[in-house]
Amino acid sequence: MSNGRQIGEVILDLQNISLRFGGVKALTDISFDVREHEIRAIIGPNGAGKSSMLNVINGVYRPQEGTIVFRGKKRHDMDTHEAAEAGFARTFQNIALFKGMSVLDNLMTGRNLKMKSNFLLQALYWGPAQREELAHRRKVEEVIDFLEIEHIRKTPVGRLPYGLQKRVELGRALAAEPKVLLLDEPMAGMNVEEKQDMCRFVLDVNDHFGTTIVLIEHDMAVVMDISDRVVVLDYGKKIADGTPDEVRNNEDVIKAYLGVAH
Amino acid sequence: MLYREAGQFKASYKEDQQIFPIRQDRIAIALILAFFYLGVPYFASQYWLQGIMIPVLIFSLAAIGLNILTGYAGQLSLGSAAFMAVGAFAAYNFVLRVPGMPILVAFVLAGLCAAAVGMVFGLPSLRIKGFYLAVATLAAQFFIVWALTKFPWFSNHSSSGVITAQKVVILGYVFETPEAKYLLTLGVVTVLALLAKNMVRSSIGRSWMAIRDMDVAAEVIGIRPMHTKLMAFAVSSFYCGVAGALYAYTYLGTVEPEGFNLDLSFRILFMVIIGGVGSIMGSFLGAAFIVLLPIFLNISMHMLGDWVPQGLASNLELIVFGGLIIFFLIVEPHGLARLWQIGKEKLRLWPFPH
Repeated sequence: MSNGRQIGEVILDLQNISLRFGGVKALTDISFDVREHEIRAIIGPNGAGKSSMLNVINGVYRPQEGTIVFRGKKRHDMDTHEAAEAGFARTFQNIALFKGMSVLDNLMTGRNLKMKSNFLLQALYWGPAQREELAHRRKVEEVIDFLEIEHIRKTPVGRLPYGLQKRVELGRALAAEPKVLLLDEPMAGMNVEEKQDMCRFVLDVNDHFGTTIVLIEHDMAVVMDISDRVVVLDYGKKIADGTPDEVRNNEDVIKAYLGVAH
Repeated sequence: MLYREAGQFKASYKEDQQIFPIRQDRIAIALILAFFYLGVPYFASQYWLQGIMIPVLIFSLAAIGLNILTGYAGQLSLGSAAFMAVGAFAAYNFVLRVPGMPILVAFVLAGLCAAAVGMVFGLPSLRIKGFYLAVATLAAQFFIVWALTKFPWFSNHSSSGVITAQKVVILGYVFETPEAKYLLTLGVVTVLALLAKNMVRSSIGRSWMAIRDMDVAAEVIGIRPMHTKLMAFAVSSFYCGVAGALYAYTYLGTVEPEGFNLDLSFRILFMVIIGGVGSIMGSFLGAAFIVLLPIFLNISMHMLGDWVPQGLASNLELIVFGGLIIFFLIVEPHGLARLWQIGKEKLRLWPFPH
């Protein structure tokens, strides 16, 4: 993983996060940090709280306890809108695309926050509103080029096969030009070629744009291969944190997750 | 053979983002507009203009309004007729109480009143979804009709609650003949339909559809659900309000609150469903279908003449109407607009099989 990029300071620091749903403890006292430009993986068995963790990071869930420090700013929880403005973008475990819209429109929606023109001007589709629309179209086309999905730009996403939908969802997140990209199982349910493509895109995003990536993934080969540091959750608790090699050799991890020979 | 975009290369994003990117579509729209602006007033009889064309246009406008809310933003509503009533009574009161109020300004203000009322009744949408929201909007339907009947101020203390629309005068010209009223309605509807088309292809329209398709993902992107949903209610009610004002001023002339009942709300909903949910074009097709079909059935029943007894004929009309609606929904649940789309796709290949 030496691609010349410089891993920087800590930009996202999660401290003592606890999240409960009624009596169910989804996350208990979890702390870890994310450095700028790195690929940070979260792994763990089913129900370990990985997706809940991402949901806390971008404000879908509000933790009962804990502190989130993003770029030096301390807060108790995030608000989705605030998180989006701060530069978080994400994809979902079960694809959450806008099914009735074309690929192009899905990606354009990813840039919605950056579109400021007044709604009356939009209704007239005139002057600044039209210029804005075209400027953003240009940006979106760059993402389309990058992900090699030119041929389907006008297709409604509901009609696309699963692998491509996953790619479009990544595209929608990229269209927002995020600082931190949260990927929830980007390679789940893909075949080998699709996984290879997706890995390439994730690495390229990290490399070209310097985007920090927080990634949940079940495919151990992929995780160990592309991530810089890995945090391991089990039953809502953190059981290990470190480089892939450290994690691989951690006894707790082997016991809880990778399996012990009996 | 004729409907091909082959050879029409787009050299800029501007060209690709045009309102009608395919040349044949642009020509077709121009021809349709020319036909309705120049041909129809020339050929059509007074009955056709006043009894068919004007209501079709007005209902198209109301259907566009409901389509923005239900088809694009995904918020089910059963209060469209009530927002039309707000528009009709607001326009009446603006013209009545503000001396020298230009009628078109009154229409816009009426739309804005309806928008404000719509936003208030849209507040439940922040908490509830789907059928539950539809039931909540029923409150708007009943409350508004009740309020307009209950407080005589709205109908200028007319004893029956009926209001008679004032004469439509623009820059000294009196719109009295069906032709003039038709052209006025057509003008308003064309402009508003164009604005709606622009809205749904801009960022506001994309926010609506995003909320409709996947609200959690939309929120994560930074779309504010409250702002977006209330905006949809406001714009939708604005369209219904203007449609209501036209309903009073260019179609019926006299209206009463009871005329804007739940029945009318349902008719508008049917127009949206049959025309095509999430399509501006579909709103026109649906309105035309719902207005024209009963007339067509009526005429065909009369042609059967003595064959069918009178009492049976009128019931048969309803049965056939209901049957046709069910048939349509089974054959093409996405409405007439989808059929139109499929037709266009077929035409691209015709006469070759592939």
